[in-house]
Amino acid sequence: MSDLMKTYPILKIIDHGPGLRSLYFEKTFEVQPGQFINLWLPGVDEKPFSVSRITADFIEVSIKAYGPFSQAIMQCQPGQRLGLRGPFGRPFSWHNNALLIGGGIGIAPLRILGDTLSQKGFNFSYLIGAVTAHELLFPEEMKRQAATRIYTDDGSLGKKGRVTADIEQILDSEKIEFVYAAGPEIMFVVLKPILDQRRLPYEFCMERYMKCGIGICGQCVLDDSGIRLCVEGPVLNQDDLKQVTELGSVHRDASGRRVR
Amino acid sequence: MLKTRFFKAELETPFVLASGILGLTASSMIRVLDFGCGAVTTKSFNMEWRKGHKAPSILPFENGLLNAVGLSNPGADEMVREISQFKSRTNRPLFASIFGRTIDEFGQVAEKIVGLQPDLIEVNVSCPNVRSEFGRPFGDSPQDTAAITRLVKNIAGSHIPVSMKLGPHGPGIGLMAKACEDNGADAITAINTVGPGMLIDIDVRKPILANKTGGVSGPAILPIAVKSVYEVYQAVKIPIIGTGGVTTAADAIQMILAGASLVGVGTAVYERGIEVFHELAAGIENYMTTYGFKTIEDFRGLAHE
Repeated sequence: MSDLMKTYPILKIIDHGPGLRSLYFEKTFEVQPGQFINLWLPGVDEKPFSVSRITADFIEVSIKAYGPFSQAIMQCQPGQRLGLRGPFGRPFSWHNNALLIGGGIGIAPLRILGDTLSQKGFNFSYLIGAVTAHELLFPEEMKRQAATRIYTDDGSLGKKGRVTADIEQILDSEKIEFVYAAGPEIMFVVLKPILDQRRLPYEFCMERYMKCGIGICGQCVLDDSGIRLCVEGPVLNQDDLKQVTELGSVHRDASGRRVR
Repeated sequence: MLKTRFFKAELETPFVLASGILGLTASSMIRVLDFGCGAVTTKSFNMEWRKGHKAPSILPFENGLLNAVGLSNPGADEMVREISQFKSRTNRPLFASIFGRTIDEFGQVAEKIVGLQPDLIEVNVSCPNVRSEFGRPFGDSPQDTAAITRLVKNIAGSHIPVSMKLGPHGPGIGLMAKACEDNGADAITAINTVGPGMLIDIDVRKPILANKTGGVSGPAILPIAVKSVYEVYQAVKIPIIGTGGVTTAADAIQMILAGASLVGVGTAVYERGIEVFHELAAGIENYMTTYGFKTIEDFRGLAHE
């Protein structure tokens, strides 16, 4: 694939639960874990999404109904053509003895990461959480692949509580040398001091409003670092984040206004 | 070798980050300067914030970009905050790009920012992507452009230079530039994106941009930009910021030979990466050494002789 827009038919759709589905496209390009693609629904809008899985035959993108665009995606049918361009951004790096933490739709990029780590023979475990059981992506697949801890806010699956509820105890009792996290920003705010204090290296897969995906519009640039999340991210490590002052406090909307 | 003075601003290199590229926040613009750009231009802003057009709004194609961002911006108050931040962090040059939906609004935005002492106010009268909302660009009319020039220059006063950003369309860019000069403009920025243009997806058989049409930038428009700068140089005595399709050092040199004092760089940040400024600088220095030019001044406008 490339930066140029091209449309591809949806090969298959899997509904994981209400407002949560995976779209499958023919594999016409390579994607590294953590990278994202721009998905264009003609007549509606174009938005960035993490790739959740790649196999020899297909690319999977997992989407949660949230705004008008993702709601429209829930109405798509197999065979319908969507525009894809990318992949964009800097991927995750690969480390042994890792903990993969995913919150909500943030679980999506951990799936492709877990597949890659697994292929490389690295040790890792999953720590995933969501509001409720049917919003949790891939729990069975993950359990088959590695040790998996599950948390839901309402206790409908796994332990009741936030995904970060027992994090300190987990980090202190197990051989964990690297932490990956993807999910809502509040998760990073909770994790960062805990990881920094233990001098554990980490990578967070972040989100910001993006217009171009190619590093020119400036919409996703992080204060005060000047990091363009679409090019130097979406995966940022502990060193990148040292210069980021807006984590958990401010992001910018489509106009560029700061939103708290 | 490439140090350039533009009015009171001292630029390390003759390159200006073009408006619309990485110009939304202080952090973003400072990073571009750190990569060897001489001055930055903010994203064009007006009084009230605007979301702009839906996506796709920025679309790469073989020879450049097609964009219809639709003048999205966080509004003057928020941009005043970013420019103040910028000024508190560095004294390197910043050009503020402004627009208005009405002639009066150009004046209101100018009033908002004069106190911040931008190194230049660039007046965008030539965005091709808001026709459906604003009607024809003010930059298509010499009378409107003259009126806006007078209005903004009156507010900017003698200490802040005003550059009028013109497109290649309308009644002729030389004539437009002359109208600007006669009404007090200190410089001309030439050119804005070209078109509008359109790209269609052949499988879904629809225009790809949400706005259907958008301005063309990048390598595809270099010849139009060089010709426009050449024409403006013949029409006026005020300096020119030559912008449009500059991707390589040879492109930048063409702009200077056509008469540009500074060279705008925009789409090249995508085509070549944010490191492009080093590449441009090295290429121009090499050219100057080859031909024995000591300063940019030595070869500016030589294509006219």
